[in-house]
Amino acid sequence: MALVIRKPAIDILSAAKWMIRKDCRALSSLVEKAEEAEKRPVGRRPRFQNPALEYRHIFPEFLPDPNPKWRNSLREKMERADMLKRRSQIDIPEFYVGSVLAVTISDPHAQGKTNRFVGICIERKGCGLRAEFTLRNVVDHQGVEIRYDLYDPTIQSIQVLRLEKRLDDKLLYLRDALPEYSTFPFDMDPEILPEGTPVPVNPVQVKLKPRPWLERWERQELKGVSNIEEHLKEKDRIRRELRKTPWEKYDLMKEYRKTIPVEDQSEIWGEVHNQLNQLRLSRKKMFKKRPISTPKPQLG
Amino acid sequence: MATFNMKILCTTLSKLSVNRVTIRQNAYYKPPKYRPPHWFMPKERVMSEDMLTQENRDFIEEIKQEKLNSQSALESPLANVDQQTVKWNYYTRRVGLIARKIGNYPLWSKDGKKFQTTLLQVVDNHVIKYIPPEEFNPMRTKKICWKEKRTLGCLLVGSETVDPSTVTKDYCGIFNSVGMLPKRFLFRFMVSRNAALPTGTPLFATHFRVGDYVDVRAKTIDRGFQGVMKRWGFSGMPASHGVTKTHRRPGNIGAGGEKARVWPGTKMPGHMGNRWRTLRGVKILRINTQHNILWMLGVGIPGETGAVCYLYDTVLPLKKLKVAPPFPTHPASHDLPLEYYDESIHPFEEQTIMFDEA
Repeated sequence: MALVIRKPAIDILSAAKWMIRKDCRALSSLVEKAEEAEKRPVGRRPRFQNPALEYRHIFPEFLPDPNPKWRNSLREKMERADMLKRRSQIDIPEFYVGSVLAVTISDPHAQGKTNRFVGICIERKGCGLRAEFTLRNVVDHQGVEIRYDLYDPTIQSIQVLRLEKRLDDKLLYLRDALPEYSTFPFDMDPEILPEGTPVPVNPVQVKLKPRPWLERWERQELKGVSNIEEHLKEKDRIRRELRKTPWEKYDLMKEYRKTIPVEDQSEIWGEVHNQLNQLRLSRKKMFKKRPISTPKPQLG
Repeated sequence: MATFNMKILCTTLSKLSVNRVTIRQNAYYKPPKYRPPHWFMPKERVMSEDMLTQENRDFIEEIKQEKLNSQSALESPLANVDQQTVKWNYYTRRVGLIARKIGNYPLWSKDGKKFQTTLLQVVDNHVIKYIPPEEFNPMRTKKICWKEKRTLGCLLVGSETVDPSTVTKDYCGIFNSVGMLPKRFLFRFMVSRNAALPTGTPLFATHFRVGDYVDVRAKTIDRGFQGVMKRWGFSGMPASHGVTKTHRRPGNIGAGGEKARVWPGTKMPGHMGNRWRTLRGVKILRINTQHNILWMLGVGIPGETGAVCYLYDTVLPLKKLKVAPPFPTHPASHDLPLEYYDESIHPFEEQTIMFDEA
């Protein structure tokens, strides 16, 4: 009997160790990424040969769709030129999935012809002018999600109220989580990070509501959910094991098909690097001038 | 009897004239419906090792460059044509363009609506040859009344200059005879007599204007042998409830009795795509004059990215040209604005769209 007990105990220990190590690794990698992303805004000379490669986290939509059937260098060039033209009109800030944003758009049907929405970014996808992001909030106990096109010319401003990342790439599970995890007040004040700090990762783990769920969250290896095991039956656990594809992370070909090669990337970033930098500098100047005038409306 | 035999002999002898040699005695023989036009030459060449010395290679390269330069330096012959003499009217048919489909992306209208567009690039189009209606003598078939079409001449347009050594001698000859370099694509446009263009005239995207409607002809995506659900949109059969082995099958293909056979034209599995299709009445939303790109409304243009398509002025009566377009084509000029936008389209460099309170 003792033997029987001891063995699982060892197993659990090793599993816990592994978990801790894995978590550490995941966190550290994220932090590293964040550091990489954050180093460039300071204007310091980056250490890599092609510095602009770090832009891929801040401006992921500048990279084209890797599907070779859809690629065309001229179209991508025109698309990038159009994106930069739009960026010269509106400040599209750096944000990630998990950041809290406030978006103001012109809406012909709204009162005052503008509409402002605050919410957490739960998804960001699309390449080029098709880039889009989804904001989620809970208004009057009712979950609301709005999908915005990043380069839509009706968007008047995009403001980052809280710049942070979460543990997962997509936060679609907030739809099945308790409403307090996706509730944000519309009069939220922007939290300004001191310059040069890496983008913080919020390690919060949400609690899911009991089933039924919109998706089989237990099969997606989510890090940002705490109570997934409570709602599972034995059947679900067995099926999860059966459906696992642990070999996929070793599939180099799959990884290759999903990404744009470094040579292509350096070409792309070399093309847009200067203009993006200039835009950023001009925004900074604007930002430095602004604080004298902005506090007044907040007080009022 | 003798006279009768004599008659037969006479008729047979008369049939034996040299002009009327019957090639086959098969009663079922029908002359081919399609006879390729004279410019239809085998293009692909079998590449072989020429065993050339480096000097010779350099020499060939030099000549190629020389020819290319001389062609690019060639002035558009349109400058010599008197623009005033030729007038456009509602019934004239202009030349079209050969373009490549290079992708899709959205544009926004001035009232904030999103439109998906297809980008078509007009690459290096040149007029190769004009065949006037009297000389143009295509294959005659019973069904088509060529008499009516005699008023239209044939204009050959080529696109994308290629290395002359990569194509066959015959194909090169078509271009050599008019003093041009061979093109990858050669296409025929039927044009009115006064829309004829001299050899070597370059055609640009500005041949069309923004807001015009065009017809686009291209080959659809080749999907291979497909089942009935994909090819014809049948709904198939249920996945469960006792259905076995017939989830994606067509089911019944005909009735019994008199009609106990498969009727011609029954929708069945087969090869799908890779067919010429024309999408009519596509609006041009934006034109880039530097790269010769056209932004067309919608994503319905046949073919995958990189497919070649042919553009014509539309034939739809309500969308046909009302005012005179650039005729016979837009001349080459360097002082054009970089981009033309349709009046409904919001250029990205303009300010954010705001709606006024009415």
